[in-house]
This record gives sequence, C-alpha cells and structure tokens, in this order.
Amino acid sequence: MRRLLMMTAAAIAMAVPLAAMAADPIKLGVLEDQSGDFALATIGKVHGIQLAAEEINAAGGIAGRPLELVIYDTQSDNTRYQEFMRRALQRDKVNVVFAGFSSASREAYRPIVKQLDGFAFYNNQYEGGVCDANMIVTGAVPEQQFSTLIPWMIEKFGKKVYTIAADYNFGQISAEWVRNIVKQNGGEMVGEEFIPLGVSQFSSTIQNIQKAKPDVLITLLVGTAQSSYYEQASAANLRVPMGSSVNVGQAYEHKRFKPPSLANMYVTTNWIEEIADPKSKEFVAKWRKKFPNEPYINQEAENSYLAVYLYKQMVERAKGSTKRDDLRAVIAKGDVCFDAPEGKVCIDPKSQHMSHTIYLAKVNDVHSISFPKTWEDVKPYWLGEAGCDLTKKNPSAQYTPSNPPPK
Amino acid sequence: MVGFLYQFGDAAAFLVLSACGLAIIFGMMGVINLAHGEFIMGGAYVTATVSKMGAPLPLAILCGALAAGLVGIVLERLVIRHLYHRPLDTIVATWGISLIVSQGTLILLGPSLTDMSTPLGSVTIGELSYSVYRFALMGVAVAILAGLYALFNFTRFGVLARATIQVPHMAESLGVNTRLIYSLTFGIGAALAGATGGLYAPTMSLVPTMGAQFIMEAFVTVVVGGGDVFLGTAPAGVALGFVKALMTTWQGQLAGQIGLLVAVILVIRILPRGISGLILRERA
Amino acid sequence: MSAAIDWRFPVRQILNRLEGPQTLGRGRKFWISAGAVVALAMAYPLVADAYTVGNTIYFFNWVFMAMGLCLIWGYGGALSFGQTAFFGLSGYAYGIVTLNFGAAYGLTLFAMIVAVAASAVVAAVLGYFLFFGRIGGVFLGIVTLAVTLVFERFMAQTAAPEWRIGNARLNGFNGMSGMPPLTIPWHGGDIVLAPDIPLYYVVLGLLVVVYLALRILVNSSFGYVVVAIRENPQRATMLGYDVRKYQLATFVIGAALAGLSGVLYTSWGQYITPSSMGITAAALPIIWVTVGGRGDLTTTVLGTLFLLGTFQALTIYGSQYALVVMGLLLVLTVLLAPNGLVTALAQLPQWLDRRFRKGGVA
Repeated sequence: MRRLLMMTAAAIAMAVPLAAMAADPIKLGVLEDQSGDFALATIGKVHGIQLAAEEINAAGGIAGRPLELVIYDTQSDNTRYQEFMRRALQRDKVNVVFAGFSSASREAYRPIVKQLDGFAFYNNQYEGGVCDANMIVTGAVPEQQFSTLIPWMIEKFGKKVYTIAADYNFGQISAEWVRNIVKQNGGEMVGEEFIPLGVSQFSSTIQNIQKAKPDVLITLLVGTAQSSYYEQASAANLRVPMGSSVNVGQAYEHKRFKPPSLANMYVTTNWIEEIADPKSKEFVAKWRKKFPNEPYINQEAENSYLAVYLYKQMVERAKGSTKRDDLRAVIAKGDVCFDAPEGKVCIDPKSQHMSHTIYLAKVNDVHSISFPKTWEDVKPYWLGEAGCDLTKKNPSAQYTPSNPPPK
Repeated sequence: MVGFLYQFGDAAAFLVLSACGLAIIFGMMGVINLAHGEFIMGGAYVTATVSKMGAPLPLAILCGALAAGLVGIVLERLVIRHLYHRPLDTIVATWGISLIVSQGTLILLGPSLTDMSTPLGSVTIGELSYSVYRFALMGVAVAILAGLYALFNFTRFGVLARATIQVPHMAESLGVNTRLIYSLTFGIGAALAGATGGLYAPTMSLVPTMGAQFIMEAFVTVVVGGGDVFLGTAPAGVALGFVKALMTTWQGQLAGQIGLLVAVILVIRILPRGISGLILRERA
Repeated sequence: MSAAIDWRFPVRQILNRLEGPQTLGRGRKFWISAGAVVALAMAYPLVADAYTVGNTIYFFNWVFMAMGLCLIWGYGGALSFGQTAFFGLSGYAYGIVTLNFGAAYGLTLFAMIVAVAASAVVAAVLGYFLFFGRIGGVFLGIVTLAVTLVFERFMAQTAAPEWRIGNARLNGFNGMSGMPPLTIPWHGGDIVLAPDIPLYYVVLGLLVVVYLALRILVNSSFGYVVVAIRENPQRATMLGYDVRKYQLATFVIGAALAGLSGVLYTSWGQYITPSSMGITAAALPIIWVTVGGRGDLTTTVLGTLFLLGTFQALTIYGSQYALVVMGLLLVLTVLLAPNGLVTALAQLPQWLDRRFRKGGVA
C-alpha cells in the first residue's frame, strides 16, 4: 500500500513538469530547398534552425512552450513555396515561417503570407528593398555589403572597376548599387556584364575583362553553374583582385574549387565558418557535433540560427503572445537585439531588416581565409532613408534604388 | 581576331561534345534521352574521383567514359529496350531516370564534390591570355568526331550497327545479334556523354545538377543536325557555335543564348528535317 | 404555318457528340459515375478545410493546360513543349492588364479574356510558322521548346525598371506580383475570388464545361479529321483535307487552354514568374499527359490530378526521397502501362477477364 502510494506520488511528480512542457507548442514552419539547384547553399539553413530549436527546447522552450518545427522541402521550385506556404499557414497553422532562398521564391510566397495574414522570416542575403510588415529580413542587404567593400577595394587596388553579375534582379540591382557606390568614391566603371543564370562557359567574359584591364573585378555570380567562372578564369591566367558580396559566404567556392582559382578574392559577409572569434568557434564546434557531415556552415545558416533566437526574444518580450501585431509592437521599441555568433545584431523597426557585423574575408593563395577588416553594427539604412517606415505604413512592396518608395 | 576564333572554337567544341553522345542515342537510335545530362554528370564525378586518387587526367576521363558506358548498357537492357517502337515515351522514361540519378547522387554523395583544377596552364597570344586546356578540348572534339566516323564507317561493328538501326529485321535475318548491337551502340552514346563530363570536369562545379548545363545545347545541336552524326551534328555544332560566339561578342551572353535558340528555330523552319534528315526519315 | 424550326435537332446532335470513338466512357454507367464524381466534388468544400479547398483549386488550375496538350498531342499527334510558354504569356498578360486597369467593373474577367486571346493569337502566328512550314515530329518539340526557353530567358532579365508596360513592371526573375485576383462584379459588393470556396466552384464549373466542350469537339467531324491526321497525314491530305489548317486549329485551342491555366494560376497565387516557363516546367505537362493516358481526355484529367496530388504528397512525406520515387513511378508507368496509368486502370476489367477466362490462353 505504502509502495503503491509512493509510486503514484512519484508518477505525479514526474508528470507535472511533463505536463508543463506539454503545453501548446509554438510551431515554426520551415520552407527551404533541400533538393534541386539551390540545395548546396540551403541545407545548412535547416540545420541551423534545428540546432537552435534543440538548444531552446533544452532550456525550457519559448515562454515555457516547446518549439516544434514543421519542415517542408521546396525542391528549389517556386510553385512548391506557394503550395507549402499555404499548407503551413492554413492547415498546420504555424505561428511563424522561416522561408526562402532565392528572391523569386520570396516574391512567390509574399502574396500568400499577405492573403493569409501570416508572419515570415527571410533569412537570406538579397538585393534589398522589401518593405512589408509581414516579413522580417535577417539577411544582409547591398548597402551593408557594398558600402564597406567597395571603398576599401578602390583604396587598396585602384579606381577602375568591372562588374560581372548574374542577369536577374539580384545581380542587376546589386550591380546598380556597385555603380552608385563606385561613383561616390571617385572610381570609374570600365565595364559591366550580365550573365544569364545557368550559363557555365565564360570564354567571352574572360576575354572582355582582359581587354578592359580593370583594377578591381566585382563578381556577383549566383548558382553552381556560374561559379565555374573562377576555375576558367584561373586557367586563363586572369589575375585581377576580385570582390564579391555573394560568393564564398554562401556557396563556399573556396572549399570546392582548387587553389589558386579564388586567390585574391575579398568578400564582405556577415559570418563565415573561418572567423576566429572564440564565440564563433564555440558555435562552430556545437554545430559540428550535431551535424558532423556538414560540408560548410555558411552565412545563411548562421542567419537562420540567430533568427530563431530573435523570434524567441520577441515572443517572450510580448509576454508569450505569438500574434504578429504584438511582436511588431516589441520590434517598434527599437531594441530587439541578440548576441549572435557574428556579434550583436538588432532589428530596425522602420524596415524590419537587421543590422550586421560585416567581416571582410580575404581568400589567400591556398584558399585559407584571413580577415583584414571588420565593421561592427552596420545598419540597413537605405530603406528607412528612402521612405519605408513600417511603423506607420505597410506598402507590402519591394523597392530598388531606381524605383524607391513614393514620396 | 584570335579572340573571336577562340570563342568560336570554344563554343563549337562545347556544342559538339555535348551533342555527340546524344547524336548516337537520339540521332541514330531515336531515343529521346532526357537523362543525357546525368550521364555527363556521372562521367564527371567518376573522373574527378579517379583523378583525386592520383590517376592522370586522360586515364580518369577514360574511366568516367567507361563507367557511363556500362551504366548505359545496363539501362538499355532494363528500360530502353522496350521503348524503341514508341520513341515519344522515352521522354517520360528517361526523365524519370534523370530524376532518380540526380536526386540519388545528392542523397548519396552530398551537394557537391571538390573540384579539380584545370591542367595545362595558360598561354598569352597578343594581349589576351587563354587557357591551353580549352584549345585541347577543341582538338578532342575533332578527334572524337573523326574516331566516330572511323568506327561507324570502317569497322565491322560500325557497319553492323548502322545496318541494325536502319533496317533491323534485315540485319537480324542475316544473323546479326541485334540485341547486342543495340546495347553496345547505346553504351557508346552513353560513354561519349561520360567522356564529355570527364573532359569538362576540371573546368566546372561538380554538383548533381550539372547535367542541366549541357542538355539544352545538346538537344538543339542534335536536332538541327538531323540524324547523322557526321553530316549533321558536326556542321550543326560549328554553325550554331559561330552564331553563339558572334552574338555573345556583339551583345553579351544573354544575346548569345537567345541568338542560339532563334537560330535553331530558323534552321528547322528552313530545313524541317535538320541538316541531314535522311536517317531520321527512314526511321520514322 | 410551315414546319417550325426544330431546335431540338441540333442540340441533340451536339449532345450525341459527348460520346464517340475518340473518347473513353459511354453509356449510362459512365455518365452516372461522372455525375457522381462532380456531385462529390461540389459537396467536398463543405466538409474540407480551407487549405484543402485552396490546394484543390491549385490542382484544377493545371488541368486545363493538360487537356490542351492532350488535344494537341494525344489527338493531334504533335508533340508540343510550348504549353508552358502560353501559360506564362497569359499569366503575364493578365497581370499587365489588371495592374494597369484595376479590378473594378469586372475588368479582371475582361483581362482573363484578353490574356487567353493573346495566347491564341501568338499560337496562331507560331503555329502558322510551324505547321505551314511542315515541321513535325520531334522537330516540332524542339522548336516549341526553344520558343519557350527564349521567352523564359528574355523575361528573366527584365528586372530593370525600364521594363514596364504601363504600371506593370515585368520585374524579371523575381516575377510579377500584386495583381488583383479574379473578381466578379456584384450588386452589393464585388466578389473577390481568393483561393476559397467561391473560386472553387468557378474553377470546377469551368473544368466541367471545358471537358464537355472538348468531348464534343473531338467526337465531331473536326475531331475525326484530327485523329486521321495523327494516324496518317498523307492519307488525310489525299482525302482532301488541308492538314496544316487542322493542326493549326488544334494548336491554337490547346494554347488557349494553356493560357487559361496561366490566368487561373496567376490569379490564385497573385504571382507569375519566368521559371514557370523553364525547362522543368515545360516537361511537366508532357509527363502528366503521358502517365495519365494521352489518347483520351478523361484519362488525362484523372491522370493529371492523380500525379499532382501524388507528387505533392511525396514531397511532403517523402522528404529527400520524393524525387527518386517520382522518377521510379514514371519509369514503371512507361514500362508497365504504356497507354497511361489511368487507361490501364480503365481497361483492367477487360484485361483481367482475358487473362483469367476459363480455358483461355493467357
């Protein structure tokens, strides 16, 4: 009898914390490309979210509620983003969605997030300009990456700049940014070339660059096909200092291509695996323990990881509410910040984009990385300055320097 | 001038090498092989792996070609054999195979392989420097065409193969083992695709979807050329390569791509059976 | 008074065409089960959740393009990779018209008609070029694929702000979004057809109407000629039919249907992008139609819906193996059910009967 009573008491004692954790979970939808063309750069994003979720749940969840992930593979296909965003919001009724790699996928799902009044995080660098109250963007934007990179490169190597960019929105808008910043810094554009996605043969491009004899080559190449440029340029002995906002940090070309094809390349990224900071190294160690086969932890993976923590902070500061308007009220206070592996990052209430620490990474002759310079707390200033203020108005649109918000 | 010739030769070599395997499989055998890109990828992967183990590049490429050829023979036995009389169904079957192979590679080997470096260094002519390897590729394209010509016109196997494909029942009644010939011919087509993969492997990213970068060029070149590999694919490759190089030099890569596609449309309009429609017409 | 015009005769003639040698399914049993299926489909949204309704509309949107390809390829024998080009063309046309003129006064319906007409016109021009140039067989496939890819490549680089038609920026690879969905003008307040129950009934209704209309078309004398051309173009020519005109007509009708799919998709997701016209997207209608059974409208409709649902379910539950399983499904279908899965299922009773009939030879 006594034993029975004790066992019952023990069972109840164990059940109580279980019941507490069995509180309504917070559902986080994950729509990322785990197969198809983009998988190389995005598999790490899912892992980052999983790592963060595991840590958060081990520490008691978000406001006492466990975090549950609902993961879909969007197969690098825009129509799948439309299908699964609808499913995540309507059927799974997730509280927030982390979604998208390519800008096309983001533009495909934004109307659906708006239709269904959802809340989404876009954790990828992109061409900038999304002014949408339903979106939080943690990815880096051109003003953060180019206002740091270009002046430095012009000062170090010379004024003549040549740009090769992928021929679509991201490439064209980034090239526009490069043009503007080069002009502001007294440089001269000696050439610009736009290359359609999926092209992998660069003989003509290499010849054009050689003829133009630039001091600096800005490469904004996207996709595994276009990254073949580096090998082909190196084989043709084209050795001009290169700068990029998108290569190395996203698709780790320096690990995939044989040296010295990426030698003398300078990349502004908000985080990469090689950063020597102890906090960053600790993060890498944690990651490698959970995912020993990860080929590379890129900046998007780190963005995804810290985004989960940012969300946690917002919910907890909103007293456990996951309603978008409550979370936006927290953001409007202007001090939603987090000590991420890259450093301190904060969300800007006007644009709902994030400030970043920008690291200048130099790829050496043997493809090791050094960091000649770091800029802290680089704000995503352009949207706010151009007239996007989400605390007052929600246009749900994407703007560019040549198509700014209407005054 | 040298610059333009280099671009022209480079573009033509790319088209010819992309197309030669498909020219055998599609041009001669009528199989619309949407898995052509995966044969190329397989050849590239095997070449890269063998080369990393220390073998010299030509040997590695040979291994890549061989591996692709063997897989091709197996595939022919299992799947393609049943589809010769319904060529349009080969689209779906090979598309399915393409999905299986590319996704399977992603699952088994991860999203990429470490790349190889391009051998042979560079040479400077005038004020521009060029990769010597790409000149080598142009030479290899010509050599492969010559080799194929020799194979299909001067060897017993080649004559039997052409006979089997053109008039299978006659060949069979003359005692030719048509099943074996079909398998071997398909295998040769697959091996050529694998060789292309191996040849371009040192110059490209090695990812499971890399075949997609060849497939459109391969198809348009083969179709514009018509059925015959020598009377068709070679001149098609040269002509389309010229158009592409010209448009690219004039207006950039996008113009080059669109120019290529428009040229394809125009050529087929003018020559509805391709540059050498003979064999295809007989097969139809 | 002399004989009044008997309206019943032409109507009965048209209704007779609902059945015929070109379409599977005839007799009371078929039409009763078809009616039951439609009735089920109509009752479905009342019990299903909002997501399923929206998702089913999404599947229905693609069926029009598949039916168009069935007409062009299954009945006409012309392999066209160009359906997605018209899909995209109409999608963009709808976007351009509605972004410029808005959604009031039923303008979105006008935009839909304009967009479908645009596809028909472009198809007429392209078809003239193709069929009057006597291009056929696999060459037709390659040329239509080339056209689709040119269109895709071209649209993908229209990101710069100067690429606009009126208020509508083409916006390149990122796609055009923000266009208003189809809106029916109504007395008390316009009905906006967001992906919900009203849109479901509209699309279902369109589907039934188009399906029946196509059945009548292929069983009419037009359909007979088209099938004759597929079987033997020279014989058809020698019997006095201008093959090219019939091929052109089928191509235009098929393209218009693809355009209808494009408008519905664009309105559903408020988004259209060049990747809807890429090489993968171009191959999908061919896959659906082949696996379903390209020789017949009913099998195409059922096969397309089946494949769309299966592929989606595989992607959700199969994670990284989804694409592998899809590939296997395609290979097995081609090998084991050469006329399409649905056709094989439809003929299963006869097949079983033949195989297991007592005393029969297997």
